[in-house]
Amino acid sequence: MAIFKEKVGVVSCSGEEIPEGTISRIATRLVLEKLRPDETVTICLPLFLAGEEGERAFAKQFNTITVDGCGKRCAEIGTMKYSGKPFATVVVTEILKKYPGFTLKSKNELNAEEWKFAEKVAEEIAKKVDEALGRQKIQARREEP
Amino acid sequence: MTEGGKVAVVACAGMDKPLGSVARASVFKAVEELRPKKVEMICLPPLLAGVSSYSELIRALPVITVDGCAERCATKLIVKSGGKIRGRILVPDSAKKHNLVPESASHLGPNGEKLAQIIAEEIASAVDQLTQRM
Repeated sequence: MAIFKEKVGVVSCSGEEIPEGTISRIATRLVLEKLRPDETVTICLPLFLAGEEGERAFAKQFNTITVDGCGKRCAEIGTMKYSGKPFATVVVTEILKKYPGFTLKSKNELNAEEWKFAEKVAEEIAKKVDEALGRQKIQARREEP
Repeated sequence: MTEGGKVAVVACAGMDKPLGSVARASVFKAVEELRPKKVEMICLPPLLAGVSSYSELIRALPVITVDGCAERCATKLIVKSGGKIRGRILVPDSAKKHNLVPESASHLGPNGEKLAQIIAEEIASAVDQLTQRM
């Protein structure tokens, strides 16, 4: 019998409008590739919005964390519309407020400072992943006879 | 001539495939470096989430879609939203044609960058053709 490991879906905006969208995308990749590679999968937002059933079914069954570049919160809105409330939301512009004076410029290739900031955002996402998995474990225990 | 002879360009920007990142990078190059005055870049999530005026733009302007995989999400979503597609680029076809494979979704590497540049030039050429017809 195959035992499925708990996973958390990370849904990032693809934000082409502003540099914060690029940060959300890079931070999400850092979580998937370096910080929590075994615990996370990404849900492709365009595919999800286009109606791909596999992506939507995953987001209905497992916890999701949305990562948005700005206050428009497109990833969160899309997830709520098609699969339900995300477990947690991360908004880059909100995190940016903790770093007064620091401004983002790059929409394509990040500079060294922007990479460091993307790593900070990735750490925030990773914390939410841990919380999501912790909560899932508590729920599973409650359901045991 | 509509909207001062502009063309809307939409990339899928898919997160889970390196070619989605190439699609995204190619559109940035076309918009910011090659044809900054002729291209309106459309960001897909706000269009679909209904949080911007992109829906008016894609109905008013000819649209070029750039898809990173065979799912062709950008194309499907523009059709669904009532846009008029006048050009389509499928990145896997370009990658195959030029034998260029990006390193990863977060780091395109030299081959991925070169592929993005080639596609950006294809977009620019299509933009020129479309705007000449207006």
